[in-house]
Amino acid sequence: MEQRAHFSKKLEDLKVKVLRMAALSETAVHKAIKAFLENDADLAEEVIVGDSLINQMEDDLDNFSLELLALDQPMAVDLRTIIGGQRVTVNLERLGDEAVNLAHRALFLSTRPPLPHNPRMESLAATARTMLSNAFKAYVDEDVSLATQVCRMDDKADDLNIAILRQFVADMVSESRIVERGVHAIIAARHLERIADLATNVAESVVFIVEGTSMKHNCKE
Amino acid sequence: MSNAIKVASRNLDFFYGDFKALENISIDFERNRVTALIGPSGCGKSTYIRCINRMNDLIPGTRVAGELTLDGQDIYAPGLDVVSLRRRIGMVFQKPNPFPKTIFENVAYGLRVNGVRDKAFLENRVEESLKGAALWDEVKDRMHTSAMGLSGGQQQRLCIARALAIEPEVLLMDEPASALDPIATQKIEDLIHELKQNFTIIIVTHSMQQAARVSDRTAFFYMGKLIEVDSTKTMFTNPANKQTEDYITGRFG
Repeated sequence: MEQRAHFSKKLEDLKVKVLRMAALSETAVHKAIKAFLENDADLAEEVIVGDSLINQMEDDLDNFSLELLALDQPMAVDLRTIIGGQRVTVNLERLGDEAVNLAHRALFLSTRPPLPHNPRMESLAATARTMLSNAFKAYVDEDVSLATQVCRMDDKADDLNIAILRQFVADMVSESRIVERGVHAIIAARHLERIADLATNVAESVVFIVEGTSMKHNCKE
Repeated sequence: MSNAIKVASRNLDFFYGDFKALENISIDFERNRVTALIGPSGCGKSTYIRCINRMNDLIPGTRVAGELTLDGQDIYAPGLDVVSLRRRIGMVFQKPNPFPKTIFENVAYGLRVNGVRDKAFLENRVEESLKGAALWDEVKDRMHTSAMGLSGGQQQRLCIARALAIEPEVLLMDEPASALDPIATQKIEDLIHELKQNFTIIIVTHSMQQAARVSDRTAFFYMGKLIEVDSTKTMFTNPANKQTEDYITGRFG
């Protein structure tokens, strides 16, 4: 028979809170990407304003996790669920910040003429979105295999980011009028690449929660 | 050789009459390490430590099969002197059980029984033992008053001092802090950390947190079997066995 029913309920509550925060962070990232790719200043503003709620949820989750650790003295998988949940939370808050950073680039670029089309930027945005969505799915389903796939996708995001940088540098060399916009676009690509990194961190936390092992820094093996 | 095996059992079975209370227990206890035995009531952990100093011999109808060794020597060898074995393997029980004698006589008891008459030697050993049990400062001015006047926590440390006086090599502790308040419990736990420098300690505890705090290794017993033994860190963060995980996370027991 299940003992500590009260504690089990609190662990469930923790997971639900993390998922609510994940939904907010993911929405912020999606909106920021859309605002950036479609020059939508209003949407970018929405992302910037919405970040305070994500920050507030982080505080709430910090307090809740601290309370669980102090009052219930969890062990084994329960302990990992809480520590892993905290790691996920930290990354969700950073995802919110990256969405805001990207939204600021979108705001700036929306006031300028469009840059030459760069399909790699769309590809990087799609990669980051897929990684994020799969990382959250892996967290919900405790799916180590999916989490590992997310980690392995990170190289693709890194490669695209570098290719975008090279492309814009080449464009700026041949056309000096786009330098200001080009720099902002390079920074935006860097934010997208960071979103992919943070999705990887979430996926690593899933492996830690489920298996108790760390695949930080070595998921390519 | 600081981590050499002090106590070991191989395929140990124990029977109360026809009832097999322990089945096929194989485990090594390293010198100067604290090993905690955990498991739900009736899982055999107390029965197991009572095999180590042959306390179960006192219960009629019991029987041991398999191997249990102290420094490689068979604890159940025919003709082995059990009194001398128990001198090497001290025991502290759940409930403090001081004799209705003075504090001094309680600690000196084991030495007197072993024929020590030298007063200076006795006084010295009693003081060292009380210091070892972190009780000396609290009782040095009332050594010849009754031990029954001590608090529960002090009585338990007195029992530890009594066990230490005969200089055992192994200390068995059967829920030594379960009857004590949190402050007294903390003193016993601090003491365990000190004592492991000189002794091999095997402690039975129902408190998972206590096992986590005091031990280097933890063994999980369930229904007379050893389910898993590993470093305490591994057992409480990532045990290999599902039954262990379910027990230590409070999902059964």
